[in-house]
Amino acid sequence: MLKKEFKERFTNFPNFFKSWIKTFTGGLTLFVVLSLIILPFLSQNQNFTHVFLRQFTLAMIFSIFAASWDLLTGISGQISFGHAIFFGIAGYLCAYLISYQNYPIWIAIIIGALGAVFFGLIIGVPMLRLKGPYLALGTLAISLVLLKLFLMGSLSDIFFGSEGISALPKLSSDPVVEYLILLILMIISFITIIQISKSKFGTILKSIRDDETGADASGINTTRFKVYAFMLSALFAGIAGSCYALFATSVNPTGNFGAVISFYAILMASLGGLTTIRGSALGAFFFIFLEYSLIIAGVEIYVNLIFALLLILVVRFSEHGILKPLLERIKDVWDVLLGR
Amino acid sequence: MGVILEVKNLTKKFGGLTAVNDFSFEIKRGDFIGLIGPNGAGKTTVFNLISGFEKPSSGSIRFDGVNIAGLRPYKIVNKGIARTFQLVRSFKFLSLLDNVSVSCQSRRGREASKGVGIDAYASSILAAVGLVDKARIPPVILPHGDLRKLQIGKALGTNPELLLLDEPFSGLSHEEQQNLTDLILRLHEDGLTIFMTGHVLRELMNLVPRVIAMHQGKFIMDGPPQEVANNKIVLEAYLGKGSEEFA
Repeated sequence: MLKKEFKERFTNFPNFFKSWIKTFTGGLTLFVVLSLIILPFLSQNQNFTHVFLRQFTLAMIFSIFAASWDLLTGISGQISFGHAIFFGIAGYLCAYLISYQNYPIWIAIIIGALGAVFFGLIIGVPMLRLKGPYLALGTLAISLVLLKLFLMGSLSDIFFGSEGISALPKLSSDPVVEYLILLILMIISFITIIQISKSKFGTILKSIRDDETGADASGINTTRFKVYAFMLSALFAGIAGSCYALFATSVNPTGNFGAVISFYAILMASLGGLTTIRGSALGAFFFIFLEYSLIIAGVEIYVNLIFALLLILVVRFSEHGILKPLLERIKDVWDVLLGR
Repeated sequence: MGVILEVKNLTKKFGGLTAVNDFSFEIKRGDFIGLIGPNGAGKTTVFNLISGFEKPSSGSIRFDGVNIAGLRPYKIVNKGIARTFQLVRSFKFLSLLDNVSVSCQSRRGREASKGVGIDAYASSILAAVGLVDKARIPPVILPHGDLRKLQIGKALGTNPELLLLDEPFSGLSHEEQQNLTDLILRLHEDGLTIFMTGHVLRELMNLVPRVIAMHQGKFIMDGPPQEVANNKIVLEAYLGKGSEEFA
C-alpha cells in the first residue's frame, strides 16, 4: 500500500513539477535552490570559499537536523528536547569508524546515521508511555545522561573522554565540493521528509499528534507508529550529525551531545514554523548567519542569550513561526510588482 | 443470527468506587439496543470497557466468542467493534477526508478498501454520512451536528460489525437529531449491529426496539422501551423515590 502510493507519486512527478513551478511557493523555492547552486561559483576569493561559504554548509547541516526535529515534534507530535542524542551518536559512531577502523567516509556516514536510527528505536520504546512535557523531559534526561557518560567517569575512557576524537577528514578538501554535497543531501532530505508528511503514513502520524486516543479508536497501533516516527527522525538527525562531525573534523561530548544542540533544533524549527518542514531551513540559515554576524561583530558570547530572546519573541508574537507570514509578505510584494 | 457480544459479570472499580457492578447482558447480530441510565450510572464506563479504553476489574467480554477484555483499543477495533465518544473528538488539523482515511488505514479498513483505494473508500463513507461536500474542510469550523456525523464516519472507516454510539444526540438541535436518527436507522438496515447510550430519552425510546437500563453501575432491566419506561426501579433511578405515581 505504501509502495503503491510512492510509486504513484514518483511517476506523477513530472506533471506535479510542472504545475508546482507555476505556484508562488514552488517558483520561489526553485529560485532559492538555483541561487544556492550558483552561489559557490560567484567568487574565487579564499575568504569567500573557506569561511563564508562554509557558513552555508553549516546552515544546511542544521537545516537537515531541524527538519528531522520538525518531523518528530511538529508532524508526529512527539516532543523531543534531546535531539542531540541522535546527532551526537551518529557523529561519534562515524568518527570512530573513520579514525579507529579505517572505514571509508561514506560508509561511516551511513552507519553513523543507522546507529542513530537504532537509538531512535531503543529510546522510542521506553519513552512511549510519556506524553507532552513528560516526554520532553524524558528525552532531555537521556541526552544529558549520554553527555555525562561521554564526558566523565571511568566509562569515558571507552568513550574517548572529554577530548573526543579529532583529526577527522572533511567531506572534501575543497569547500565548494563540501558545500555541494551538503546541498544535495539537504534537498534529498527535505523532499523525503515532506513527501513522508504528505503521504497516508504521514496522515497517521498527524492523527496521533492531534488526538492519540482518537487514533487508537480508529484502529491504529499508535505505539508502532510513534516508534517509526522516532526512527525516521533519528535517521535524518543522524545524517546531519555525521556530516557535522566531518565538517568540524572532530567530535567531543559538549560539541556533539550538548543540550545546546537540542536547543538549536527546537529554535530553528520553531522560528521557521512547526509542521512546515521548509521553515526549518529558514530557521537554520537565520540562526547560523545570526551567530556568524555576532562572531564577526565580536559579541559571540551573547549568542545564546540572543537566541533565547528571539525564541521568546517568536513564541509570543508569531507562534506558528515566521515562514508563512514571511511568504505572504513576499507574495504581496510580488503581486504588487506584477501589477495585480 | 448468533450472539455477537456477551458481557458476563462485568465489574470495574476505581479505588473505592464501583462504577460497573456485576453487569451482564447479550447482544445478537443485527440488534439495535439502547443503554439508558441517569448521569453517573456507568454507561460510558461500560463502553470504555468493551472498547478497550478501560480494563475490567473482573468479568468477561466476549466478541464473536473471543474474549476481548483488557485488549488495547486498536486491537478491539480490528476485531470489528468501533465506537464514538460522548465529547466529540476529531483530528482538528486534518481535512474530513483525512479524518476518515485514518480509520481506513486500520487493518479492517485496509481490507475493506482494497479494491477502490483509501481515498475513494473514505469519500464513500463521507457520502454515506452526508459530509462529502465538506471533504476538504478541517473539523474546526463545522457545526456540532456535522462533528457527530464525522465521528460516525470515522467509526465506519474501520468497517465494524458492532457500532457503539456514546450519547450521539447530546447537544443537537431537533433538526440535527432527526438527521442523525435517519442515518443511524439506515446503518442498522444495512446490517450493522448498533449499541447506543442515550440521555435524550424521548428520541432514544422511539428509536430502539430494546433497552437495557442501568443505575449506579448495576443492571436494572432489559426489555422493550415501553416496559422499561414504566418500570418502578427505572423511574426511581431517574426521578427519585416515590415517583411511580408519575408513570
